[in-house]
Amino acid sequence: MNYFGLLTGISTLFIIGLGFPLVIHSERILGYLWWPYMLGLGLVLVAVSLFIQADWLAVSVGVLGATFAWGSTELKEQAVRAELGWYPLNSNRIKSPFENLIRKWKAPHL
Amino acid sequence: MNPIGVVAALATFLSVWFGHVSVRKVEFISATIWIPTTIFTTLGLIVGFLSLSTANRPLSVALGILSITLLIDALEFRRQQNRVKKGHAPANPNNPRHARILQEYASATTQDLLKRDPTEQVLSAEQAQTTL
Repeated sequence: MNYFGLLTGISTLFIIGLGFPLVIHSERILGYLWWPYMLGLGLVLVAVSLFIQADWLAVSVGVLGATFAWGSTELKEQAVRAELGWYPLNSNRIKSPFENLIRKWKAPHL
Repeated sequence: MNPIGVVAALATFLSVWFGHVSVRKVEFISATIWIPTTIFTTLGLIVGFLSLSTANRPLSVALGILSITLLIDALEFRRQQNRVKKGHAPANPNNPRHARILQEYASATTQDLLKRDPTEQVLSAEQAQTTL
């Protein structure tokens, strides 16, 4: 029996669980226009995992990276949820660098 | 270079994507909740057993992540139905289960209220319907 994969699955469940408050609070404090930065952070974390020798740590960092990348695709829909009154809407969000440029790009949603 | 983190990241992203889309689509058309819940639970257990059985560590990781996400998706069918009741997900009038929800819950709607671009301002209930 090889328990490593299933233990990874269970730890993935907890790391993905962090993704829910991550998306809710990021959208509330920063706004959905920070999505390229969240996606970039996720990709950097996945790349960093390549240089980690301990398998359990490489897997955890990789899954955390995937959670940030997935979170970036959820920010736009979360912004709409706040506008619909399903979550509190904060009108004093911190502006993202290059906001006007990012506004021209289509925010990802899967 | 240790590729196991990338394998785990890809397995996570693709499993979550698959679950996110399939739960919404299957719940939309399925006349029952228990059938898809049973199918996803069974698949999750089979994939989990395969993860335990393989000696290949990257494959075991990918299957382990897929197994757990399938088991969570099985629970998500019930939660998706609750979203339909609240109007947070669209109801399908051609699905008898959803047709009953539309009759019983005033908040249920056939419109997908999330299918829009953000406007960065609060929308009234009327605007929410008319700006789709």
